[in-house]
Amino acid sequence: MQKVKNGPDSAALAVQPEPSKARKTWRRLRENHPFLVMVFPAVLAVFLFNYLPIYGVLIAFQDFMPGDPILGKYTNWIGFNNFTRFFTDVQFWPLMKNTFLLCIIGFVIGFPLPIIISLMLNAMKGKRMSKTLQTIFNGPHFISLVVLVGMLNLFFGRYGLVNNIAASLGAERVSYSLEASAFRPMYILSSNWQDFGWSAIIYIAALSNVDPGQHEAAILDGASRFQRVIHVDLPAIMPMISVMLIMSIGGLMGVGYEKALLMQTDGNLEVSELIATYVYKQGLTGVPDQGYATAIGLFNSVINVVLLIIANTTSKKFSENSLW
Amino acid sequence: MSVKQETKKRGPIKLGTGDKVFYAINGLFLGLMALIVLYPLYFIIIAAISDPDAVLAGKVVLYPVQITMDGFKRILQEKSIWTGYLNTIIYTVLTVILSLVVTIPAGWALSRKTLPGKKFLMIYFIIPMFFGGGLIPFYNVMSSLGLVGSMWAIILPSVLSVWNLFMTKTFFESSIPDGLIEAAKIDGAGEYRVFTSLVLPLSKAILAVMALYYAIGQWNSYFNAMIFLQEETKYPLQLVLKEILIASENTTGGSGETILEQYRMANQIKYVSVIVSSAPVLCLYPFVQKYFSQGVMIGSLKG
Amino acid sequence: MASLTLKDIKKVYPNTESSPKKKKKKQQAEEPGKEKANLQITDEGVVAVQQFSLDIADREFIVLVGPSGCGKSTTLRMIAGLEEISSGQLYIGDRLVNDVAPKDRDIAMVFQSYALYPHMTVYDNMAFSLKLKKMKKDEIDKKVREAAEILDITQYLDRKPKALSGGQRQRVAIGRAIVRSPQVLLMDEPLSNLDAKLRNQMRAEIIKLRQKINTTFIYVTHDQTEAMTLGDRIVIMKDGFIQQIGTPQEVFNHPINLFVAGFIGTPQMNFFNDCKLVEKDGKYTVEVLGSSVELSPAQQKALKAKGQRSCSIVLGVRPVHMTLDDGGFTGKIEVSEMMGSELHLHMTVNGSDVVAIIPTVGIDLEAHSIGKTVRFSFKPELMHIFDTATGMNLL
Repeated sequence: MQKVKNGPDSAALAVQPEPSKARKTWRRLRENHPFLVMVFPAVLAVFLFNYLPIYGVLIAFQDFMPGDPILGKYTNWIGFNNFTRFFTDVQFWPLMKNTFLLCIIGFVIGFPLPIIISLMLNAMKGKRMSKTLQTIFNGPHFISLVVLVGMLNLFFGRYGLVNNIAASLGAERVSYSLEASAFRPMYILSSNWQDFGWSAIIYIAALSNVDPGQHEAAILDGASRFQRVIHVDLPAIMPMISVMLIMSIGGLMGVGYEKALLMQTDGNLEVSELIATYVYKQGLTGVPDQGYATAIGLFNSVINVVLLIIANTTSKKFSENSLW
Repeated sequence: MSVKQETKKRGPIKLGTGDKVFYAINGLFLGLMALIVLYPLYFIIIAAISDPDAVLAGKVVLYPVQITMDGFKRILQEKSIWTGYLNTIIYTVLTVILSLVVTIPAGWALSRKTLPGKKFLMIYFIIPMFFGGGLIPFYNVMSSLGLVGSMWAIILPSVLSVWNLFMTKTFFESSIPDGLIEAAKIDGAGEYRVFTSLVLPLSKAILAVMALYYAIGQWNSYFNAMIFLQEETKYPLQLVLKEILIASENTTGGSGETILEQYRMANQIKYVSVIVSSAPVLCLYPFVQKYFSQGVMIGSLKG
Repeated sequence: MASLTLKDIKKVYPNTESSPKKKKKKQQAEEPGKEKANLQITDEGVVAVQQFSLDIADREFIVLVGPSGCGKSTTLRMIAGLEEISSGQLYIGDRLVNDVAPKDRDIAMVFQSYALYPHMTVYDNMAFSLKLKKMKKDEIDKKVREAAEILDITQYLDRKPKALSGGQRQRVAIGRAIVRSPQVLLMDEPLSNLDAKLRNQMRAEIIKLRQKINTTFIYVTHDQTEAMTLGDRIVIMKDGFIQQIGTPQEVFNHPINLFVAGFIGTPQMNFFNDCKLVEKDGKYTVEVLGSSVELSPAQQKALKAKGQRSCSIVLGVRPVHMTLDDGGFTGKIEVSEMMGSELHLHMTVNGSDVVAIIPTVGIDLEAHSIGKTVRFSFKPELMHIFDTATGMNLL
């Protein structure tokens, strides 16, 4: 066996100091600084368009006039006045009710539908047919909100297709876009029409990763196709379902106000006015009351975050799945 | 003996009755769903090329009646639509270019373990996914940046979607092997060179997905344009469509006769404008759908 | 070509990641992740390599060998600059390179996964590093063609890696490394993705390659055959520590401890536990399987020089050093493997398994079939004596 010799200059080696922590950090920074350069534009964009508005939320606690500086000499801090004002606003309960109802009904229908569709598509016999159907189901996702609402108006207008068919059966013509009672069904059904296929993709992807051996084992065990859907496929996408459930509960109150705004008419305002559309109207139209509008918006975001945290904690408690 | 008989009988494996019923119901239901999805789109097309009176009278249900291209001829004269079209194309192209420049390098950097301050940056990008300042503070920021009334108010806020950023990051983490990067470093490449000579050529899929996501997002959006733009010459297509398709609906009132007259005049234009505005996206869609689905799947890897 | 000096190199992965989710991700990451599995965990973190000191001469061919998780790949990656060195010094030539980026170390590396750039042709793969050095085009061309000639891949230069077989990709990976005439050529298990036949062929090619190019080789493998056939010197590692450094001959003939003895050589060395070394009147004998064997004069001398006392030992004898004759021990044949030129006999001797390799020339196969009893012996000078307590070789 050979003995280990010393280095080329053992005296020099002996005095070589251990690299200090600071030097290591400096070395890492020098080697990796290009990454900081690459990430910088994104940091800037998020700062400008996401963080500055978060800072701007301060005006919720002020008597704010458009054009005022956020932290100025004459800033008039009024604490939670804007919030208490909203809670006592005659609009408060109708807004809460409208937002919650629309979200919850939308969720109850819109959450399970993609799961069912993905399971059904996955259980189809012909794989090519299943692919074609997927392509068809995804299509409406790419239609813009304006066009979608425009289509609703065309189909459900007084002389639209639906009324024409109804009239031929002897019914009265109804301008559905002006009917308050028609708003929620039209909103929710059209949303599902547009997005059920798109939302199913994520589950289809998860299903395609199921080990075929599991299915073969189940077949040998005598399971029917339906039993295999329940006992093999469904458990396989359960983790994904949990994650999506948490996400959609967190986004529950962030319901698409852009669409609601497009669908609003004088006739359906009593049910179509949501917290978010109210924020828009209070803050950007007519005589803007921005402090008040921001307070309402903040109230909405806080509800969202609280819902998300509750959903996540619950999920963590009852299963292994959570976002963090 | 019995074995021989068994082999004689063997054909394709027979389905149980239960499974037959299952497949039948399954196929029937999905077919119905396909019909529900396709029929409205089909109706738009037949209504656009039929005689407007026939459409209003409810004669057009399954096939076009008295085919006419008048609607298309008339829409050619609608100047606002074509200005909107041009504006939207400009906004979309600029958004896509800028967003790729912002998103792709940032996604790459975030996918690297050696990114200095990675933990902080991750939190920095995650927070806006779940919490935001809301509409009014956002408007005020745009206003203090002097962007209100400018086309940059439409473009700049769209150049980074945090969701897309994380999708890009996940793509890089899962599809570019570490060994390749190490080989390039030993070959003498610096981080910039690694990115341009190695990462970019190997990430055509994510480039395509991101370009399409951002493009569709911009093509279909109307809200920012509505609150930030005043001059009609800058209006994107969706805002013009909003005027044509929706604004008139709000003011509907008066006697049945005038409403009918209004419908007659405007209806055809509406059907045609839906087609004209959605055609580019819907025609492109089947060709690029594998990229879109890929995008969703890349995103799903995270979960 | 340059000498290398590693002085007391240590690698610690700090304990930063604790959540099980992240760990799972790490392990999937790649080879180094897998290797971390059975390493020492201390307060500082996971220690992958420690007390690694080695001088490598110019143009030497060093092989790092050991079971997976022994730290050999980590050591190589530290030399390459792909892993940070936690403490200790690394010199290439006379230059301290601890803080030097990989691209400035003048090294090349062949990866286990080949790591060829999939979007470039073979030519561009090989030319990439030269282009980055801003070398002139015609010079690049000359060098690439030279290297391609050596490796016999000239006809594939226009192809993309996807269109090549495993063996061809391997050549390209080597070509990419040698084209720049690096001072040190690092190879990380380059043959482990090839099938057995190709592996033997490529092993021979690497030996030939070594004659053609002037550079220092550091080669990592888990395969002791590769280590023995390729290395000028072999470094055997286990659990982050160097076990032994020596020429193939040295580590074969004089394994420093039980681990090395068991690791080098196939089939594995036979170990007889519960033996005794007895010192009586200045004479050393070994008691094994109830009989007593006197050691050779050279062994006597070595033990005497150490002043070795009687103690309990493990006796090691390589299968090839067993002879079937009428001598001392009896074994019952459990399995008899006919390998052509030699016969591998697996026997039970006193309840433990013993393997013997005997040449087949003029042998009566019938007498060596399963269930037969044979007598065997071994020469004292071919015995290895290990201290039961420490596992160290006493000679």
